[in-house]
Amino acid sequence: MIQVAGKQIAWREGMTVSDLLDELGDPHPYAVVRINQQYVTRPNFAQTLVPDDAEVYLIPMVAGG
Amino acid sequence: MPDYDFKETKTLDYKRPEIQNGYTDQTLYINLSDLQIDIKPVAEKTKKTFIGGKGYDLWLLWNAVQPTTRWNDPENALCIAAGPLGGTPIYPGSGKSIVATLSPTTGSVIDSNVGGYFGPYLKFSGFDALEIQGKTAAEMVVFIDGVNQKVQLFETSGLPENAYALSAILTEHFGQGKPRNISVVSAGPGAKNTLIGCLNFTWYDPKRKRARYKQAGRGGVGSVFAEKGLKAIVACWKTVTADTNNPADKTRLKNVAKLHSREIVELDPKQNEMAKIGTTHLVTIMNDHDLLPTHNFRYGQHDQAPNLGQKVYRRLFDPGFDGCWMGCTVACSHGIKDFVPLTGPYKGQKVFVDGPEYETIAGCGSNLGIFDPHTVAEMNFYCDAYGLDTISVGTAIAFAMECFEMGLIDSTHTGGMELHFGNRDAALEIVHQMAIGEGFGQIVGQGVRRMKAIFAKDFGADAKIMQDIGMEAKGLEFSEYMTKESLAQQGGYGLALKGPQHDEAWLIFLDMVHNFMPTFEQKAEALHWFPMFRTWFGLCGLCKLPWNDIIPEDNKDTAEPAKVMKHVQWYADYFSAITGIEAGPDDLIKMSESVYNFQRIFNLRMGFGRRQHDDLPYRAVGPVTEIEYESRVERYDKQLVETYKADIDGKSTTEKLAMLRKYREEQYEKLKDAVYKRRGWTTDGIPTQKTVKRLSIDFDDVLELLKASGVNS
Repeated sequence: MIQVAGKQIAWREGMTVSDLLDELGDPHPYAVVRINQQYVTRPNFAQTLVPDDAEVYLIPMVAGG
Repeated sequence: MPDYDFKETKTLDYKRPEIQNGYTDQTLYINLSDLQIDIKPVAEKTKKTFIGGKGYDLWLLWNAVQPTTRWNDPENALCIAAGPLGGTPIYPGSGKSIVATLSPTTGSVIDSNVGGYFGPYLKFSGFDALEIQGKTAAEMVVFIDGVNQKVQLFETSGLPENAYALSAILTEHFGQGKPRNISVVSAGPGAKNTLIGCLNFTWYDPKRKRARYKQAGRGGVGSVFAEKGLKAIVACWKTVTADTNNPADKTRLKNVAKLHSREIVELDPKQNEMAKIGTTHLVTIMNDHDLLPTHNFRYGQHDQAPNLGQKVYRRLFDPGFDGCWMGCTVACSHGIKDFVPLTGPYKGQKVFVDGPEYETIAGCGSNLGIFDPHTVAEMNFYCDAYGLDTISVGTAIAFAMECFEMGLIDSTHTGGMELHFGNRDAALEIVHQMAIGEGFGQIVGQGVRRMKAIFAKDFGADAKIMQDIGMEAKGLEFSEYMTKESLAQQGGYGLALKGPQHDEAWLIFLDMVHNFMPTFEQKAEALHWFPMFRTWFGLCGLCKLPWNDIIPEDNKDTAEPAKVMKHVQWYADYFSAITGIEAGPDDLIKMSESVYNFQRIFNLRMGFGRRQHDDLPYRAVGPVTEIEYESRVERYDKQLVETYKADIDGKSTTEKLAMLRKYREEQYEKLKDAVYKRRGWTTDGIPTQKTVKRLSIDFDDVLELLKASGVNS
């Protein structure tokens, strides 16, 4: 099971960040998510696996400087 | 017995006024040439027009200098102010000071904001702003003692040069057993011997029992300080509470402060964890998006960048509360305990490093081709101790390294240093040379604009290529973001009043990653609203991080998520609660607009502030060299064909480079037109008479200047 944005999502083998965002159905164009303490950026969403029991945070990247 | 000496040369006893709704309504004037100390009232018109903070600084500076004044003239003024909201301990990020002066590197007005306790302590001692003119041959310490209601000038001897040791001694000397009552402003030997000196502002860390440091870094404010003969300015104040600012509506203040403070406590752990890792999370995020400057802004990505990422600094930072102002729940000013430098006067000793933040990591790390966190920490430590701006130091050394790699300079010019990218020893050696003003470091310490002139004149280097790769605009070194693929951020840097610093507009993600502003008009609107709102923080004595670095969970569903309007409304409430002046979000923008346009006109008065001064080096706009083009050939070819409808069949890289450059430079000029129009400026980038009248900055001398500049309506 994965914790994301206050919801619990069922984990499955081979699940990527892109898969997870698809499943959430959130249309916001996230640029960054954090899996536990690891930051993952959009260019890597499709190839980054989400581990079971992960806590995933959707980062609203409007700032920076 | 201490081996330093303080000789009192002047004392002014004064009666501290009660603070009314965030204001003292007076400023402190000191002239170091004739040891004059005066207190000046703030006129109602000044208060209404300039609000406080940077606005007050600019008005004092405008009246202190002439168009012919240069940074090292005695009449140049160094101004420091908090703002009406500054010093509120219950609202996050309310402890900023804003410094303004004429810059040694830009020749015009520079402003730089900084944390630490000084600005609030200055205000609570009875002064909305401090203005220092004149020069002294002696080493001078200014002591503003709000507790005992005295301003004193001391000639000193025997005090250490470097900022860390100096501030520790002054904190103990003036604190009299209460070190938290003290905040010290100092520069250091690097500030004295270069033009890119910073100012160190302290806050006292009771857990670690030491003075901690934040820096007003940009534009050589520390070099002005040192040039005046100032050793330090010390402010002393006692307990701070929500009542100290005497807010107009304390209940309203407490309510809005609680909302913002609690939201940060709840959401920061779910978002960027700034309370644990500061801004270090940005390193890998920027790198993954090709936005982290490496090798003098040639590229935005490097496979070793994770060595400088948050994972590493999460381990290195000493855990604990790191708020540079009391009660701030962002608390992002982290540091490294028991760090042992490998070079310089502290070699082999355990020291505490205040930082690094993202800018220092990118400037003194990736942009130099250095991917070693220990070297970055050591650069950070010595830059602070010597009073040097880590951004300008990083960008200047990066330029020198690229010149070396291109064969524009060689080891006969660098004093034997093989100044290749990645040479850690050389980078540190240059910093140590800056501190003593000797060797090649003395040249690098002049900043990129002067380096270009010296390399061309004395070393015969090609001026044209250096113009393309020397990352400065208006004389200020770029801060550490790649802008090649974001036209809006090219404007964010190029159209910024003081030069390419990201505190006016940071639009990279909105523009490039999210594509929220595809048209020129949308970019121009963003380059109006964001600089105005960000300016407002500097007027009020606030940090902008709580605004848009920790964001409400429902923000993405709002009409304009980039503006974080829920927080903008909270800031309007905060302003109203302290000052008693009812304000909404649009009012905050208008407050800034007056000051912003005034600063543009100030640039004009100093001989800058026109369209030509908003130009950028081409490295900020597109690929300069064939190797850069070829490294992202797919991207550039695609853009030429799809966006610009160019025929690239059979074209060489050199030809494609030239085609891309032509298009991109045209785009940037079109952006200037759109932004000037939106801001109410002429096509030459000067505010019109109509604009200055609308903003109530139509002072006689402003109108005369506009007329003399050919602006008649």
